[in-house]
Amino acid sequence: MSTAPVVPPLARQLINPAALIAVCCIGLTILGLTILFSASASFKQGPYYYLNKQILGVFLAGGLCFIASRINLDYARRYSWWIAGIALFLLVLVLIPGLGISVKGSRRWLGLGPVRLQVSEFAKLALVFCLSHYLALNQTRIGELVRGYLVPLALIGAFVGLIVLEPDFGTAALALVVGLTLLFLAGAKWRYIVPTVGLAISFFAVMVIHNPNRLRRFVAFLDVEGNKQGGTYQLYQALAAYAAGGTGGAGLGQGRQQLNFLPEAHTDFIFAVVGEELGLWFTLGVVAVFATIFIAGLVHLRRAPNLFHFLLVTGCLMLICLQSIVNLGVVTGVFPTKGMSLPFISAGLSNLLLMGLLVGIILNTQRTWGRAVLAEKSRSMREVLG
Amino acid sequence: MSKGFASNPRQILLATIVLASFVGVGARLVWLHVIDRDALLRFVSQARYKIEPLPGRRGDILDANGAKLATSRSLIILAVDPQSLRKEDEAKWPQLAALIGMNPSELARIFNTKTRPVASTSAQNIERNGVSAPKSATFAYNVTPSDATAPIPASDSETENSDDEDEAPDAAGNRAIRFAKLSESITESTFTSIKQLNIKGVIGQRVYRRAYPNNSIASHIIGYVDRTERPVTGIERYADFYLHGLNGWLESEKDGKREELAQFRTRQVPAADGYSVKLSIDSVVQQIVDEELAAIAAKYEPEKATIIVSDPRTGFILALGNYPSFDLNTYNKLTKEEQGRMRNIAVSDMYEPGSVFKIVAVAGALNEGLVNAGSTFDCTSDSIEYRGKTRKLPREDHNFDHRLTVSEIVAHSSNRGAAQLAMAMGDDRFYGYARAFGFGQLTGFPNLGIESPGMLASPKKWDGLTITRMPMGHSIAATPLQMHQAMTVIASGGVMMRPSIIRQVLDSSGEVVYRFDRREGDRVVSERTAQTVARMLQGVASKEGTAPEAAIKDYDVAGKTGTSQKIVNGRYSEREHVVSFVGFLPANQPRLVISVIVDGADKNCPGGVAYGSKVAAPSFKRVAEQLIRHLDIKPVEPLSPVAPGPKKPASRLALKGSRQ
Repeated sequence: MSTAPVVPPLARQLINPAALIAVCCIGLTILGLTILFSASASFKQGPYYYLNKQILGVFLAGGLCFIASRINLDYARRYSWWIAGIALFLLVLVLIPGLGISVKGSRRWLGLGPVRLQVSEFAKLALVFCLSHYLALNQTRIGELVRGYLVPLALIGAFVGLIVLEPDFGTAALALVVGLTLLFLAGAKWRYIVPTVGLAISFFAVMVIHNPNRLRRFVAFLDVEGNKQGGTYQLYQALAAYAAGGTGGAGLGQGRQQLNFLPEAHTDFIFAVVGEELGLWFTLGVVAVFATIFIAGLVHLRRAPNLFHFLLVTGCLMLICLQSIVNLGVVTGVFPTKGMSLPFISAGLSNLLLMGLLVGIILNTQRTWGRAVLAEKSRSMREVLG
Repeated sequence: MSKGFASNPRQILLATIVLASFVGVGARLVWLHVIDRDALLRFVSQARYKIEPLPGRRGDILDANGAKLATSRSLIILAVDPQSLRKEDEAKWPQLAALIGMNPSELARIFNTKTRPVASTSAQNIERNGVSAPKSATFAYNVTPSDATAPIPASDSETENSDDEDEAPDAAGNRAIRFAKLSESITESTFTSIKQLNIKGVIGQRVYRRAYPNNSIASHIIGYVDRTERPVTGIERYADFYLHGLNGWLESEKDGKREELAQFRTRQVPAADGYSVKLSIDSVVQQIVDEELAAIAAKYEPEKATIIVSDPRTGFILALGNYPSFDLNTYNKLTKEEQGRMRNIAVSDMYEPGSVFKIVAVAGALNEGLVNAGSTFDCTSDSIEYRGKTRKLPREDHNFDHRLTVSEIVAHSSNRGAAQLAMAMGDDRFYGYARAFGFGQLTGFPNLGIESPGMLASPKKWDGLTITRMPMGHSIAATPLQMHQAMTVIASGGVMMRPSIIRQVLDSSGEVVYRFDRREGDRVVSERTAQTVARMLQGVASKEGTAPEAAIKDYDVAGKTGTSQKIVNGRYSEREHVVSFVGFLPANQPRLVISVIVDGADKNCPGGVAYGSKVAAPSFKRVAEQLIRHLDIKPVEPLSPVAPGPKKPASRLALKGSRQ
């Protein structure tokens, strides 16, 4: 048991999967700022309004990323239940009228001085953190129904349920899927998982059918072209943007779909602006970069020292990649329209900050996994477990 | 994936799903960017392409002094898009209602009506398309080309017109209203204050609207354009070639709110304003005429009446008025029964001119040298031999105790004398003069295809009595303007002066582009004949004549009365008459020809019978007296009038006496 830290060679420090992920994310962020400037230049707030906010957000996210990359995760793990508790408390807080800020019928934001933060964004990370902690603690009892399945499921349910109440179905579904993924990877029994997934699907189906508005949107989605004069007009405008871009793109600043044709051109539908202004090679490039992040993450995960670290990094990776898949699917008309931003590219402070934290955690593990983690771990585990 | 934290198959399954999703999105992007591109691009260009008509302003119609008879005003159609209203603006609704003079509750109703059933929309479309077949010159800043043909003020209905058929009906079959009209006549200044209210969803569209500042004055001459700026009648239609502006357009792109993106403008063709047309109509003269018509209407309640004033030296019409008339600004408010008011009676309606027509027989016989002023005729016998047959002559209104000179035939309006003058000429020559005086043919006066040529049968179709009846203005039908034109021949010294009305065409800066000259026709009778007839016609307005009522102090008035029975149910009516007085002054240097024709004035006349001398001649006098002052006509030293009776000196003295 050597406690002397093993310093990896410089090349290993610079060229590794986590570094690749960081480079990818920086690249996407730069592309995001460029397109955001183009997409919001004609907005009535002025051409720099969203750009300036986003640049500020990038710096804040960078700071959070640095902090997250420096903290001792095993130490932080001791506060897992505190983190979960605070997150759930904030999720309740945001539901209280007067405290939570409501926009278009959804109460999702907490005002913090001049900024508004979307609590559910950070709750997703809190869920991943405490779920990883719990599953790692109970990895030997994963086969049991109560301790190995129902308790973690209840944990997921608490987060998801509160997010549904806002309501924010997109984020709730994402949290649910990521949570179930972790449960699945931790080794939960098939015979528990399959009925749960079935139940979840029926639950969302009931929610859709129950609400005529949601149902109409879903039905319209099934025939985007046929409904282009009605329910899917705006989605059709997004699809048209890719066609307008073609392979080469219209050129930076030459896109027109953001001029009141596209809804949310600077946030959820910003990818369509990429499609129009930069063309096929760039949109494929963006997809390829997200896929690269995922693959690099998988490679990185092979060095995970224990189940907690494994699940935590997997959770972070899934939060980035699943969110990008949902957004890309929505803005290309594959999934029904659901408000979800494109990581690193869409304007929006909360998600940007979350992404900073997620990348920070991945970089953190890159730094710590190379060391004699196990020794450290065994010590900290004793502390954790008392 | 090592260390066994998770089973390999589970990791592989998860990784496969995620990577497959990325591949799926990539494939979808290739589909959208490349394969399905053309179909989507059609949608894009349709959504972006914008063609906007730039309206050319329709030129003004001016009177002889440059006063505006018809003009185009720039107005703003105010409308609301109920879908884009904001809750916080609701407090400002009453202010807006006050600005546009609308009942606040009515405004709120329009603002809150967000949808309309689809069925009614399509019905409205059909109606609208029917109405707006010719492309409207109105335009909107915010509409697409397909809309511009149909939407804005094309139909006369006050219902909401939608400029947005893009909206799909919702589940209940209602279509969202995107354009509900609030007002059609907002001025620029009001619109500025409306803009300052800053109510989202309230939009304005600039249009030109035709306005007629004088309402019903000269309405039959000016005519009007319908709500799509299409000329319907009058000068508006006749001179549309000059008046109508040439619309320009711009082709450009628009954004999602239908606003133009000027940086992508591809073509801009500026509009050209229409020319203005200056008429010979003098508003003051026209007003005098219209007031006299109103007086006639009030006193006699006739079926219809016409007064025409023109300058015999040029043929230019100074005023032309009809009763009944209508207001050009509210032409569309006329009921179906009232539509007849829009008819320009002076050119579209025929009447039997009666005795006024005798000038044709007299002038013809004199011009042919068959008679002179002193030739006498026996007007006592009720039949005469003509071309080997005995023809029954018409009755006389007076019994004459001596043979009448030609002057007396005119002054006393002898029917038998006129018949004998025509017989002296014979059928063909008499017919020839009637044609030469303009009867039986269009005057060429700008009245747009509904001018009547009158009825003048050729001698082949005449029966045995026609030669005895036509000289006294029966068996012939003429329009008031034709009779006026015939009298103008005498006044102008024997030359046909076609009635004209357009004097100048001016461009939008007021420069004269084209000047119309008088339309001089052929010589009809010699100058000497014309002067002789003029002198004879002076006798009509003398004490011995049939219409001393037309005499004006210090001025020589030449003219002729006419009283003809109307044909009712195929027979000449004893109770209904068309009465007229057509004359000119000063007699030997005419400045004005004035026709007064009143149809159906009998019921308010003493004895139930209207006479030209009692109804029309006084009107002639009143109009002439006012015009003498307005036009500053000086008395002219008289030529010696041809005395109506055998005692020439006495009658001349009498005339002079009456002048003093």
